[in-house]
Amino acid sequence: MGLVFKILGTVCILAGCMGWGVSRVGEERGRVRNLRELIQITGRIRDEIAYGKHTMPEICLILAQNCSPAYRACFLKIYEQAGQGRGEPFDCIWTRQTGKCLKDVPLAEEEKAVLTDLPRNMGMQEEKLQAESVARAAGLLVRNCRMAEEAYENKSKVILSVSALTGVFITILLI
Amino acid sequence: MKRDELMRMFPEYLRAGWEKVAEQAEGLQEIRMRVNRPATVLINCRERFVGKGGELMDRPPSGAAVTAEDMEAVLKHLCQYSVYAFADEIRRGFLTIQGGHRVGLAGQVILEEADKVRNLKYIRYLNIRIAHEIAGVSDVLLPVLYDTGGALYNTLLISPPGCGKTTMLRDLVRNVSDGNAYGAGVNVSVVDERSEIAGSYMGTAQNNVGMRTDVLDGCPKREGMMMLIRAMAPQVLAVDELGGIGDIQALRMASGCGCRLIATIHGGSLDEIKNKNYMCDVIKDRLFERYVVLTRKNGRCEVEGIYNKDGIGV
Repeated sequence: MGLVFKILGTVCILAGCMGWGVSRVGEERGRVRNLRELIQITGRIRDEIAYGKHTMPEICLILAQNCSPAYRACFLKIYEQAGQGRGEPFDCIWTRQTGKCLKDVPLAEEEKAVLTDLPRNMGMQEEKLQAESVARAAGLLVRNCRMAEEAYENKSKVILSVSALTGVFITILLI
Repeated sequence: MKRDELMRMFPEYLRAGWEKVAEQAEGLQEIRMRVNRPATVLINCRERFVGKGGELMDRPPSGAAVTAEDMEAVLKHLCQYSVYAFADEIRRGFLTIQGGHRVGLAGQVILEEADKVRNLKYIRYLNIRIAHEIAGVSDVLLPVLYDTGGALYNTLLISPPGCGKTTMLRDLVRNVSDGNAYGAGVNVSVVDERSEIAGSYMGTAQNNVGMRTDVLDGCPKREGMMMLIRAMAPQVLAVDELGGIGDIQALRMASGCGCRLIATIHGGSLDEIKNKNYMCDVIKDRLFERYVVLTRKNGRCEVEGIYNKDGIGV
């Protein structure tokens, strides 16, 4: 009976450690996914400015119709609040809503700031220059995403190996 | 204009100062803002100054000047924080906002080669002209704008600025499009270069321009007329403010394609129009069959005269 408990305990510890490892890998995957999403969003903003000459509220509506469900509600809210005509500055609405949306997203603060602080890069009087300004701001995301993608595979292998080894180590210690 | 519509023109922090003006929004014709000067409004043809607390005064108030920051905030707000989207309009010195109201701008011009205006910076003067949609204002013209077979005459509306040319054109387009006692409804195409006729917002007409009307918004008249003729096969083509030989050539082409025309032009009288170098041949060739001259008397816009293709009153 004691042996059965020991085996069960060992399995639980190994499963727990592996689970922790998988969740860490999942976080890394989520980070890459979110970075890609933000790159797509900023890219769409840049294109809509450069080619469509849409205003920012219009761009929010386009994003609300086209981006992933996680960001859809955020852009729809910005569009709706900007259209309510309460006179609240658009940059305040944008910063508040994108800040709320990105609050629990596994990204570094400086990466989140690319989107939340986007209005700081607005104000150019020419669409091409304005689009370039958005693209420049999004450069950080592109660089970080490339690095995260490169590191992801190695990192995930290391994390899974370390978590498995930790499980084995704890099991040996306890036995 | 409605109260809410006026308030929406201003950012939140300035709204309290425009409450009193908003109470008289129905008669509001114009808002002028100049940096370091008090704002003025034209309400029912009477100029009033806007005081510090928003009160309307007959004399310039002290300490109620518009600041450069206010001006910038208003402009950003009107451009929906997307100044780049209005670059072409700003270059031409005006932009059209939701509702079809036209905002004239002045400041320091940035030139590029050949004296071409590249942009405006330090925008310090702003003039908001309120668009008025008056349903039925063109009814009085209808009996003389149709022939006995119910076909619309090519019509030119003539008036100085601020006498209701665009308002008259908009209502005429609606009447022609929907149909009326003198003629059945027909397909009308409008080239709305300055978004004043239909007051389009995100491509959709905000003003009632009729059920059979197609609007090409923000397009130069010459290119727009050609595009519409090819694409929409209109029976009537309407354009605002003819202003050069290019517009006239396009009108001639449209007329050659069988379109009936409605157009407007700046001018005080038919004789004044005859003296414009690009118009004299048009009048000689009798391209237009009706000339409607509008004027303003005692603060009211009125039809001064209606003339046939020979310049004789009808």
